[in-house]
Amino acid sequence: MTNRRKLAFICAACVGIASALVPLHVAAQKTDRAKSLGTKLMCMCGCGQILTQCNHINCPSSGPMLKELDAHVAKGEADDLIIQDFVQEYGEKVLSEPPTKGFNSIAWYIPGVAFAIGLGIVITLIRLWRQRDVARLATASAAPPVPPSAAAELHNAQLERARKQADRETEE
Amino acid sequence: MDLFGSYALLLAFAFALYAIFGGIAAIITRRPLLIKSARNAGFAVCVLIWIGTISLWYLFYTDNYSMAYVAAHSNRSLSPYYKFSALWSGQEGSLLFWSFLLSIYVFSALFTYRGKHPELMPYVGVVLASVQIFFLTMNNFIASPFQVFAGSGAGGILHLATRADGSGLNPLLQYPEMAIHPPTLYSGYTGFTIPFAFALAALLGRYPGEKWIHLTRRWTMIAWAFQSAGILLGAHWAYAVLGWGGYWGWDPVENASLMPWLTGTAFLHSVIMQEKRGMMRVWNVWLVFLTFMLCILGTSLTRSGAVNSVHAFAESNIGHWFWGFLLLIILVCLAAYFKNRDYLRSDNQLDSMLSRESSFLFNNLILLVACVAVLAGTLFPVLSEAVRGSKISVGPPFFNRVNIPIAMFLLFLTGVGPLLAWRKTSVESLKKNFGYPLIGGVVVAAIAVVLGLREFYVTLCLLLSTFVTLTIFFEFYRGARVISARTGSNIFSSASQLTMRNTRRYGGYVVHFGMVLVFIGISGQAFNKDKQMDMSAGSEMTLGPYNLYLQNYDTTQAPNYSAERATIDVEKDGRSVMMLYPTRRFYPSNQESGTMVAISSTLREDLYVVYAGTNPDTNLPVIHAYLNPLVKWIWLGGAVVVLGTILALIPNRQAVMVLSSATAGAPSPIAGSTQPAHVSFSARSQLPTDGHD
Repeated sequence: MTNRRKLAFICAACVGIASALVPLHVAAQKTDRAKSLGTKLMCMCGCGQILTQCNHINCPSSGPMLKELDAHVAKGEADDLIIQDFVQEYGEKVLSEPPTKGFNSIAWYIPGVAFAIGLGIVITLIRLWRQRDVARLATASAAPPVPPSAAAELHNAQLERARKQADRETEE
Repeated sequence: MDLFGSYALLLAFAFALYAIFGGIAAIITRRPLLIKSARNAGFAVCVLIWIGTISLWYLFYTDNYSMAYVAAHSNRSLSPYYKFSALWSGQEGSLLFWSFLLSIYVFSALFTYRGKHPELMPYVGVVLASVQIFFLTMNNFIASPFQVFAGSGAGGILHLATRADGSGLNPLLQYPEMAIHPPTLYSGYTGFTIPFAFALAALLGRYPGEKWIHLTRRWTMIAWAFQSAGILLGAHWAYAVLGWGGYWGWDPVENASLMPWLTGTAFLHSVIMQEKRGMMRVWNVWLVFLTFMLCILGTSLTRSGAVNSVHAFAESNIGHWFWGFLLLIILVCLAAYFKNRDYLRSDNQLDSMLSRESSFLFNNLILLVACVAVLAGTLFPVLSEAVRGSKISVGPPFFNRVNIPIAMFLLFLTGVGPLLAWRKTSVESLKKNFGYPLIGGVVVAAIAVVLGLREFYVTLCLLLSTFVTLTIFFEFYRGARVISARTGSNIFSSASQLTMRNTRRYGGYVVHFGMVLVFIGISGQAFNKDKQMDMSAGSEMTLGPYNLYLQNYDTTQAPNYSAERATIDVEKDGRSVMMLYPTRRFYPSNQESGTMVAISSTLREDLYVVYAGTNPDTNLPVIHAYLNPLVKWIWLGGAVVVLGTILALIPNRQAVMVLSSATAGAPSPIAGSTQPAHVSFSARSQLPTDGHD
């Protein structure tokens, strides 16, 4: 297959995948404000679901809470005010994510701190291991040359043959 | 039969004690007969647990309502199918079922390696029996499923009592998948006990080299495959039964199953570093330990009531036992590590930042950060309550916001990692391997943007998914083309030959492709739509391209429940395309209701209709309809992941010449040579395990 044909094949595949997936978006709707606010609140029945997703039959909490939310939205109150109203009524537990202020903001920092620490460790390890490799090569080159044994020669010859074979078989 | 099962578990407990202490004596004295005797005790434990479990099933099928557990989770009209799954529907039964699955693994491991690895297996036997004895303690003394009802007769003398009928099974569990999902997930949890036992045994016994890694690779893959399938089956169950339109709610119990999967995935990757380069010995041992600890942590979260969850078992004091067991595991692992850490010393060396080794390090980093993020989100409400005295919620928005970027990075590494060379990757090699896939990814993303896609993460996911898919495709294509040129067979036959020659490598690619499908499916969530309406017969609802016309409601009667059913004619482009029957069931035995969601699923989207109940204000039935794009890709991806793992488990068909890590007797490197010092040339069939390149 020539490079041009390959490129044409890839483009055709890409267009196929994109056209299969993207029209879904074209038909997508915008959610209303109450729905959007509902995702910032938890259902207080103990189900652990966000308010707009609680669908338990005869749920004692989600129905009244959604009605309350609709009423706030109908009054044209600001988003922050509505959320604050729910917090006053139900406590911080009603928020679907931890607040970004105070002690609870720690929850937001943990993944970032874990990533930073992990990244630091990985980079340190890579540097350390590379230094070891450099030191090993330096030691090897400083040592007096050792005449290769028959076994080593055979081994190297096999290795070289395998490399050539691999090069032949994988070249474009 | 109740006594029979109870005695079987007591005997299993006694034999497990013998397996531990006999095993320790065997390790100290090295007497072959004692080693054999401890191993046989291990077999006996397993057989007795099977007898105990089968007798509980028998009690369910014979409607023995003198047994408290049977009465609480079954009734006469329950179908035989659900009487089978009722065994693990409650706390006590599920713990017995845990012991049952663990005993299958233990028996298989002891049987497979009987008479082999005499230096290692006594330690393995002791560790496995120690884990078993914890669960047998639960089964016998803390949460026995064989408790009977008692009544007081004349003179206050207690006698056995029985009930006419049981309370029935929780309606949420009366769904066909509940006979598959818990066993699959538990098989994942319990399966990680085997690599844990081998790792701890190797450390305690200072078992030389990477042997334990070779021995446990397949066990780990089996456990991982079960865990993957279990998680996805659980997601499917939540989707089809809970009726909230989604499949993953970042519920603590869901998170508990995800955490060991993440560390297990990290282990499956980093173990390759140890096999190929002898690197990361300490890290691998701790990854296995961590995976097992997370399995126990997850179980304790589910059972202690420490966190709120719809999936959790009732709050009980059983959690203290699990916390204690977890603490003991941590102490034993720490003690074993500090005593024998010199045994794990490895000469880690890295030639270049651009190498397979680096990609594995980053892969492990990302998976571990994801695990930390999930763990932090799951446990933070408990921490907040302990510190501030008031609980907060950590819901799906937090987890999505934190984990989506992590997942994107992981997807990127899925494409890049496998194509980087060991030790060092040249720029030419990068261009050759990633040029076309990268162009492909960018083209797809650009087309998507031109067509109107504006969600950043969905566009990125589309780009990376195409990139990974094309890298995998070219890996198969290039290899198959070489074989085709040499053998003259067609490209598909060549691809099949290629795969069977190195099943671990190409099975891994299939798993990666499955994950791509899962990612594409998840990205569809950004376009979910839903609508809820009070609907009387004859009313209509429009959702996306569908018009839902409610024809009528009817009621049906089944032996175990009564059901209200809506008949909905779904029209598209003005013509009827299907009928859907969302149902609401009422179970008189336990006075509970449940939904049976009607789902029409295609690769493009799911039309998901729920009969959500009756609006008390209007007295009209409420129909909630969802249009969820691409959900089917998730289940399809899950199936591909499992198939890929099965493929990777199949032994290679032909010996393949590979470059492998140094083995004893390899010639010493020639001074001044620029060739890698740790290579030898050998046939794969001669290696203790087939390598992953």
